[in-house]
Amino acid sequence: MHAHGPRVFALSFALTAIALASCKKETPPQNETAAAAPAPAPAAFSVTVIELGKQVGPDKRVTSPTTTFGPKDTIHASVASDGAAPKKIIAAKWTYQDGQVVKEAAETIAPTGPAATEFHISKPSGWPAGKYKVEISVDGSPAGSKDFEVKK
Amino acid sequence: MPDSKTPKADFSDVESGSSSTAPPASERTYTVVKGDSLSKIAKQFYGDAQQWRKIYEANKDQIKNPDLIHPGQTFRIPGA
Repeated sequence: MHAHGPRVFALSFALTAIALASCKKETPPQNETAAAAPAPAPAAFSVTVIELGKQVGPDKRVTSPTTTFGPKDTIHASVASDGAAPKKIIAAKWTYQDGQVVKEAAETIAPTGPAATEFHISKPSGWPAGKYKVEISVDGSPAGSKDFEVKK
Repeated sequence: MPDSKTPKADFSDVESGSSSTAPPASERTYTVVKGDSLSKIAKQFYGDAQQWRKIYEANKDQIKNPDLIHPGQTFRIPGA
């Protein structure tokens, strides 16, 4: 009986070693993947909604969307966006029906999540009646546009 | 189609502004339109026309004469 002791011990040691070795072979890739997995990447920046209105709230969103304005109205364009980026240039180009550029402006932001950027134009002497458009671009690429009208 | 005999609408007195809930990046930009001057742009961004030199200094590479800027030029607007 005593003679079997060392052999049994050696056998169980060998089996344990094999078991550990086989575990070692299979486990690391999973562990490495889990350990090396980076934090979820922030969502890519994108424009979600463009709205026009006569007023914006503290959240920079128009309070009551419309596409028809009076000659003395201040016209607001609110650009809602989502995603994060170290630097994004959101630009608004306002044009009149004959193609004339009414105004261009840009905001350079460092968004960290959902955001709203507003652009506004006013004309103390009154807007000429007609059709207008505001085109929104992000880093020079078109991101959407809205048509609107000024009525006397 | 607009009537070709109708005089072009004048948008030189258009005022504009912008703001965002997102934090600003280090610099902003502005594209010149007809009727603009450095003083007018400074007034718009800083609320003070006298700050025009700040914009001029930041864009010396494309402003040869501060009294002569052209529609379509895009200027860097340094922080106030």
